[in-house]
Amino acid sequence: MVVALLSIAIGATILSGLVSIYYDVPRQMGAEFRNYGANVIFTASGDSFTVSDINDAAAIFDSGDIVGTAPFRYENVRINEKPIVAAGTDPEGVKKTSPYWRITGQWLEGSGELLVGANVADTFRLKEGDFIDVYYTPEGSQSADENGERVVVEDNIKSFTVVGILDTGGKEEDYVYMTLADIEELTQADKGRADIAELSVSLSADELADVVDKINAQVSTVHASLVKRVTASEATVLTKLQALVLLVTVVVLALTMICVATTMTAVVAERRKEIGLRKAIGASDTSIIKEFMGESMLLGLFGGILGSVLGFVFAQQVSINVFSSSISFRPLLVPVTVLISMAVTGLSSLMPIRSATYVDPALVLKGE
Amino acid sequence: MFLRMIRGTLFRQWKKMIMIAFTIALGASLASAMLSVMLDVGDKVNQELKTYGANIMVVPKEASVIGDLYELEGEENASAYLKEEDLGKIKTIFWAFNIVDFAPFTNVTGQTADGSEIDIVGSWYSHHMELPTGEQLDAGMESLRSWWELKEGSWLNEQTASQNDNGAMIGVTLAQRLGLGVGDTLHIKGKANELDFKIVGIYDAGGEEDQKLFTYLHNAQALSSLDGRINSIEVSAITTPDNELAELATKNGPSSLTVSQYEKWYCTAYASSICWQIQEAIPDCVASPVRQVADSEGAILEKTQLLMILITILSLIGAALGICNLVTATVMERSQEIGLMKAIGAQNGSISLLVLTEIFITAIIGGVAGFFAGFGFAQIIGHSVFGSAIEFRVMVVPIVAVLVVVVTLIGCIPAIRMLLGLRPTEVLHGK
Repeated sequence: MVVALLSIAIGATILSGLVSIYYDVPRQMGAEFRNYGANVIFTASGDSFTVSDINDAAAIFDSGDIVGTAPFRYENVRINEKPIVAAGTDPEGVKKTSPYWRITGQWLEGSGELLVGANVADTFRLKEGDFIDVYYTPEGSQSADENGERVVVEDNIKSFTVVGILDTGGKEEDYVYMTLADIEELTQADKGRADIAELSVSLSADELADVVDKINAQVSTVHASLVKRVTASEATVLTKLQALVLLVTVVVLALTMICVATTMTAVVAERRKEIGLRKAIGASDTSIIKEFMGESMLLGLFGGILGSVLGFVFAQQVSINVFSSSISFRPLLVPVTVLISMAVTGLSSLMPIRSATYVDPALVLKGE
Repeated sequence: MFLRMIRGTLFRQWKKMIMIAFTIALGASLASAMLSVMLDVGDKVNQELKTYGANIMVVPKEASVIGDLYELEGEENASAYLKEEDLGKIKTIFWAFNIVDFAPFTNVTGQTADGSEIDIVGSWYSHHMELPTGEQLDAGMESLRSWWELKEGSWLNEQTASQNDNGAMIGVTLAQRLGLGVGDTLHIKGKANELDFKIVGIYDAGGEEDQKLFTYLHNAQALSSLDGRINSIEVSAITTPDNELAELATKNGPSSLTVSQYEKWYCTAYASSICWQIQEAIPDCVASPVRQVADSEGAILEKTQLLMILITILSLIGAALGICNLVTATVMERSQEIGLMKAIGAQNGSISLLVLTEIFITAIIGGVAGFFAGFGFAQIIGHSVFGSAIEFRVMVVPIVAVLVVVVTLIGCIPAIRMLLGLRPTEVLHGK
């Protein structure tokens, strides 16, 4: 009996464990795919938009789905009399939308700090801890007033400490990064303006497209678009991965269930003698079948419950080890596991019990 | 006598033996299927991740420095370009086999009839190459830009195009601005020459490439008379996720490694070592990993492999316990027979040997059958998920063999112990 119970419990464990993993893989893997960075881009539909427009538009997403939001404002500045593109951003947001940024030194944190792209650092021979002045020429300095005389506008100057060197292998290496507050202080114009915002959202491509359409319809200042490179590729790869886990689950389950069935068959066949004895003292076939089936169903019930618990523990362990996050408990899985294990045990014992009842009791008892 | 007894069991109790063999076969097939899939999943997922495009960028060494420092705008500087003739060398590096695709890019600007300036990019489209190694390769944009959605027309194709084909693909935004459709002609005035482009396809790239015109490499070069020169090369390579050694090499440069570390690093397909080898092969270039793609690939690969390993372990445990259970159940069933043997004077040793031999003959038959069935399951998974076969790994054979033997042995131990403890009189009496 212990043997049978153990085998049913193993089957049920594999069933509930693998199904939990299968249902959780898209969510967990989706989170991993956010490593590729932003999958939605906001741009101004008019001339410009502000950080509050971005927040309004981002509010249309379910707040739980947004991994990170990073607004960017680009300005042409000068360092050592050479033009450079400076970007103002929210460092905490970028950390989440672009987890692949590799920084030598410290992350951008507060005012007066500058994150320098690797190419810029090479050109100016900058390293961590260097001090540098950034010049910004306000608009209008090159124009002439109505008398034809040049209007002299002083350059805005701000001193920064280089906190880190940025290495991405992309064009970010040609820019310098500072906080939004710093770039506003440097330009002293257009408070709250942003040129672009990157969002990293953990939703599937179809769901994203729906929300993007909604944003474009509801928020007039923002034009949202999908980063096709990220969304299209993610959809392709994620579909394959889920198909892989599904097929593996099906194969493992099918084989395990057959395994459980053969064990049950063996366990019941062992009791042919008992069946023979009962028949000999006058038990009817139906009563024997009922009794034995009841017994195996009970085994299925206990095995199923035990398996559901063990399966959840297993799935939890996998999730913590692989994705370092816990798995969501699916209450529906418990009755399903129990029902399936009862069905499998029931069906696999039915055959040997029936065949045992056909046998002449005298022969069975004689030991043939 | 021994052989006759074994033959007797195998033939007289064939039903029971087939059941054991069947269970062992199921367990073995589960084990071999999962192991095969697990060992191959890294390569397969890596292939799939190639849809994200190139993970290595190759640019000329002097490109940024000269352009930035001396601001040589408009002037041609030979060292700011890579040479087209060097492209084949990429496929001669140590890890050449891991390079799945690559394409050169030449970026020029040109004026349309209305005087507006547009970006024109020359590249490869299904470019056929005969490599010095005798290998053949079709390289080009189609797989490096798998996310491009073709709105109209078709991809450019060098194999079907004639020598002087002026075909071009145009970004959806640019096409709308210029009011062009497939089949239309676009006259472009380049820095050196003028060309009439025939629009073959309109694509939606969902990014800044939507404002560009893509054409064959020689057309873009002709516009600015940049014969044989290219701006950059995008390389898509299958790489191993970075570990401490790769980090060390990236941080301090390969020269800081010890000889044995260097060898290990050089002979592992890290993104950094492939970059290094490309730099060795192509003169005056800088190859660097595109972090967005390279790092994410590593993370996803690791997670997938770990997930598969844990699922495999679970199914191996399941298979092992299943086999164990059944073997114990069937051997114990034979208490009466064993009791009889003992009653007529059989030794404990010979009984154990008899039971073990019987079970192992069955186990070997079941194990071999199961191994092949499992490999078949693995192929089903490989074909339906990834559309390609799962490679046969020699490693799986010993693992499955050891697993079957150990598990069967463990399954027999409690049963044999019980059989040896039997008192023949009690058993035969029917207690």
